[in-house]
Amino acid sequence: MMPASHSLVNLELRSNQYLPAIFVLLIGGAAAQPQANGAEDRPLSFVSDVLPILAKAGCSTSGCHANPEGQNGFKLSIFSYDPKADYASIVKEGRGRRISPAVPERSLFLLKPTLQLPHEGGERITVGSEEHETLREWIKEGMVFRHPNEPILDRISVGEALRKVKRGERGELGVRAYYADGTARDVTTLADFTAGDDSFVTVDDEGRFQVGSKSGEGAIVVRYMGKVGITMLSVPPDGLLPAERYAALPINNFIDEHAVKRWAELGFLPSDLCSDSVFVRRAALDLIGTMPTPERVRSFLSDHSPDKRRHFVAELLAEPNWADRWALVWVDLLRPNPDRVGVKSVYVLDQWIRESFRQNKRYDQFARDILTVTGSTHRNGPAVVFRDRRAPADLTTSMSQIFMGVRLECARCHQHPNESWSQEDFFQFAAYFGEVGRKGTGVSPPISGSPEFVYHKPGGQVTHPVSGAVMPLKPPGGVEVQLESGRDPRQALADWMVSPENPFFARAIVNRIWGVMMGRGFVNPVDDMRTSNPPSDPALLDALAADFVAHGYDLKQLMGRIANSRVYQLSSLPNETNVEDTQYFSRTYRRRLSAEMMSDVVSDVTGVPDHFQGMPAGARALQTWNFKLGSDLLDAFGRPDSSEDCPCERNLEGSVVQALHLMHSDHLQAKLANKNGRVAKLASSELSEAEIVEELFLTALGRFPDKEETSLAVKQFKEPEASRQTATEDLLWALINSAEFVFNH
Amino acid sequence: MSDIHLNCDGRGRRDFLRLGLGSAAAGIGLSQLMGLRAQAAERAGKARAEDVNCILVWLDGGPTHHESFDPKPEAPKEVRGDFGTIPTKIPGVHFSDCVPHLASVADKFTVIRSICHKDPNHGGGNHYMMTGTPTPVPVNCGAFVSFHPSFGSVVSHARGVRDGLPAYMSLPKQSRSGGPNFLGAEHAPFIVGGDPNKKGFRVRDVVLPKEVSEGRAKSRRELRASLDQLVRIHEKEAQDPTIAFDSYYQQGIDLITSPTAQEAFDIESEPDQVRDRFGRHQLGQRMLMARRLVEAGVSFVTCYYGGWDHHRMIFDGLKKHMPPLDQSLAALITDLDERGMLDSTLVIALGEFGRTPKINDRGGRDHWPHAMSVLLAGAGVPRGQIVGATDHDGAYASENIYSPEDFAASLYTKLGVDPKLVLHKRDGRPVRLVNGGQPIPELFG
Repeated sequence: MMPASHSLVNLELRSNQYLPAIFVLLIGGAAAQPQANGAEDRPLSFVSDVLPILAKAGCSTSGCHANPEGQNGFKLSIFSYDPKADYASIVKEGRGRRISPAVPERSLFLLKPTLQLPHEGGERITVGSEEHETLREWIKEGMVFRHPNEPILDRISVGEALRKVKRGERGELGVRAYYADGTARDVTTLADFTAGDDSFVTVDDEGRFQVGSKSGEGAIVVRYMGKVGITMLSVPPDGLLPAERYAALPINNFIDEHAVKRWAELGFLPSDLCSDSVFVRRAALDLIGTMPTPERVRSFLSDHSPDKRRHFVAELLAEPNWADRWALVWVDLLRPNPDRVGVKSVYVLDQWIRESFRQNKRYDQFARDILTVTGSTHRNGPAVVFRDRRAPADLTTSMSQIFMGVRLECARCHQHPNESWSQEDFFQFAAYFGEVGRKGTGVSPPISGSPEFVYHKPGGQVTHPVSGAVMPLKPPGGVEVQLESGRDPRQALADWMVSPENPFFARAIVNRIWGVMMGRGFVNPVDDMRTSNPPSDPALLDALAADFVAHGYDLKQLMGRIANSRVYQLSSLPNETNVEDTQYFSRTYRRRLSAEMMSDVVSDVTGVPDHFQGMPAGARALQTWNFKLGSDLLDAFGRPDSSEDCPCERNLEGSVVQALHLMHSDHLQAKLANKNGRVAKLASSELSEAEIVEELFLTALGRFPDKEETSLAVKQFKEPEASRQTATEDLLWALINSAEFVFNH
Repeated sequence: MSDIHLNCDGRGRRDFLRLGLGSAAAGIGLSQLMGLRAQAAERAGKARAEDVNCILVWLDGGPTHHESFDPKPEAPKEVRGDFGTIPTKIPGVHFSDCVPHLASVADKFTVIRSICHKDPNHGGGNHYMMTGTPTPVPVNCGAFVSFHPSFGSVVSHARGVRDGLPAYMSLPKQSRSGGPNFLGAEHAPFIVGGDPNKKGFRVRDVVLPKEVSEGRAKSRRELRASLDQLVRIHEKEAQDPTIAFDSYYQQGIDLITSPTAQEAFDIESEPDQVRDRFGRHQLGQRMLMARRLVEAGVSFVTCYYGGWDHHRMIFDGLKKHMPPLDQSLAALITDLDERGMLDSTLVIALGEFGRTPKINDRGGRDHWPHAMSVLLAGAGVPRGQIVGATDHDGAYASENIYSPEDFAASLYTKLGVDPKLVLHKRDGRPVRLVNGGQPIPELFG
């Protein structure tokens, strides 16, 4: 068993993305006074003694008093990001009813949370508890906000970075807060505990954890006053396998070397290599979004050269369909609401993305083109991104998520609850977008017919929403940047973004592409990289990122690497060691075809193309430029909703609606029965029934039927009232409605 | 406090509390609320709130309150307009003579005349009244936006698929902000398009295509079962998605082979006199279809009926546009009542806002969010009640003023969904289902 600390240490050396497990968050904010022994000399303070109690009791969460309206008129800042406002809210607002200095016990501030008066939030603090006493004392002592020399909270620790535990083990975590003046105190009772994966380990309010029955690794994240700590728990598998079981495993490339190492640590053996027919379908669906033609399947299966998989991958990467299939991944992330920015803008951006993929543009250049764009929204695709996302803060949220795989959004309003990002980090990043100028009529929904021009407009600035301070340019985790005068800050951002100093960029894209091709990323969701959400195989992620950079940010090269690895080519059937594996890729994870792929494949196998509104005849769903083009099938299988503020989610879950649609839609029946469709052609051909069956299997499933399947299928032609036409329809219907068709497996 | 959360006269909630108007204007207290929740189930007759279904008639464009439920016959001509008033089944209460059918069954429902907000744009108003949440940024009239899950999507999320039926359906299309947002595509409305007034109308996907007989469908399914041989990985920890796939197919097959469900989808099995009563027009038959869907077990059905944006020639427009609504909505409520379904079905009719008190120089009325009328019936909503009032010109809500949040909290409470629920967005951020509203006490008897 490789201890997870190994990976953590590696990460620490490689980048500052994965800080050591017990790490320090040096972000401004609350100062605190250790309430050490003998503290009775010093009056209690709001910042160091009261706020932690409110946080622990849940008062300053958005479900309670930190929701935008407050609760019954009493409002607190979320995660206590604004202690001054909270103090005012408690001590000064409510016409002083909340605090009764003369008789502290009569303060609403004490009566409500202890349920001595009706409180919708129920009892949060028990009368006579230590917390209750502290609050009472604080009132009695005159409600000090903060002492002049109160030491700053520096970091918290939760003990070991990695704890080896057994299945079912119970234990306790202890949390210590360390202050800038060298003092420390135990804050276990005031800290907040969250388990990363509840099915692996659960943790209660007091830091007591209970390990479940699975082996593997799982994180517990601890928060205290804006500081975050993490401890990894590790349950070794029941029996590790001897090293020689791994030594003999075939290695196609470095991906396999890393994966094998990881499996050896975790006790998994990989599934078998998938069959050629599974591979030919899998690779075509993943790389070009469509089924291989029957001719291609036949020629691939009859080819006996040892290199044929590699050749096939190379052929797929050279296909024109590759561009549309992969452009869609970016379309999902960038496509705005046409009712907001106008259809022309949406179209221009769509075409720009597709063209970039047709050229296989270097990915660093692709990012730079977007980040630094100037010019017309009707000529220059990326300008549309700046038409849609207008405020620097909105651009910060989307650009960091898209290009860095990091969700900064939380830090827009408060300290990120699970990561080191502060509001300051957020707005320093936003400052890069402070000099974006726009000319023209702007957005005027629903038409937004006129173009807008994006340009560099010197002199803009971004301020911190609480302190009001003008924010310098500083990338997340990086150092402050001084700009030559006259230079667009976005140029500096692009420089940093694609530079080796940025630990996020290459990892984010590698993780994203891996996630699409493998059914899940090393980090999931693929754009939620943070210390408290560690990658399942950090060494492999790093190696892929390094390889990607070394090969000139070439996406096709990256995809070729992945598709040619043994890992990619494993069967989806588990063996006796790896049924539990859902994140180390020792078997292939089945994934449903996406909506557009489903639509195109149904069109291909029935031989009847769709007609999409506003698209030329024969256009494929993967080529549609607008998520609002009507299609019941695309709706059933889930497209991003570009009416949403963040349309970036693509849902690959199944649903009853999908099953109902594939089984009973007039749409599919019409395609099956179409006079010019595949069924009609086969039915009216000279082919024998068995040959029709073979042709349909090759077309719909990418493989030959076996004997039993052929005989079952041929029976359909003998049904009473069956004709060649209806039997062929029924057969194709049955194949389209099978799991083998709906899933890439 | 942001502007958006101000009440209609520009005062914030806190100001109401200071003025001592707390319980009357700003909602009700906790103990009352707890009581209301318990009552919601009781009042819904035998039905528990969790079993109450909803038919929401969505009047996109902003239907006039003057020419429907809140006429002002005493106001000057340029305010009261062309239509007169008629008495209703509620003594002393008059409606516009534009809605005679509804007037004749006014003893079965409640009208709230005093719901209001501050967003005069279609896009924003749609969002506010379809989700209970204002848009976080101003959006224009043409906007189709979704920042928060719609009522129907939330109910779908809370209840899930019942008897193989999607919990949320929308006829004949989705309303602008009727989507699921972060709840995910499986809670988007199932759209039942087409015109149920046309011969041969079928609800898509839940009945067999016309060309496929039952016998053939059965034979297809058997063939499918024999050929679908991809090995299923049954160990739960393997998280094989084909296991869920099988259960979705099973539910779909149960639905298609259930005679009860299949009959419910067949509007043509409805007696002629019932179809006539709802009106032989698209809206009438959609309302009837909605009733049948609810009978079949759909939790939330939206009937979309737009075209209320009468900036010009409002009176001519209404002469054509109002009668189908008047007839079919009255028929729906009456029909549900006669079938004993009204106690377990919440019927709501509303749009995104009301219309300006003064008739403009094009003979129309413009957008006006400061007052709107909302009709509610069933699920324990008191019968024959008018809640709130507007001022003498029908311009501003003036008594028992309620917000869209109060409306949303009422709707959710009636349907057994806790309006205080905290949902989580995909990034983990908690979001309140309803931000600050309180159930409207008058709707709980």
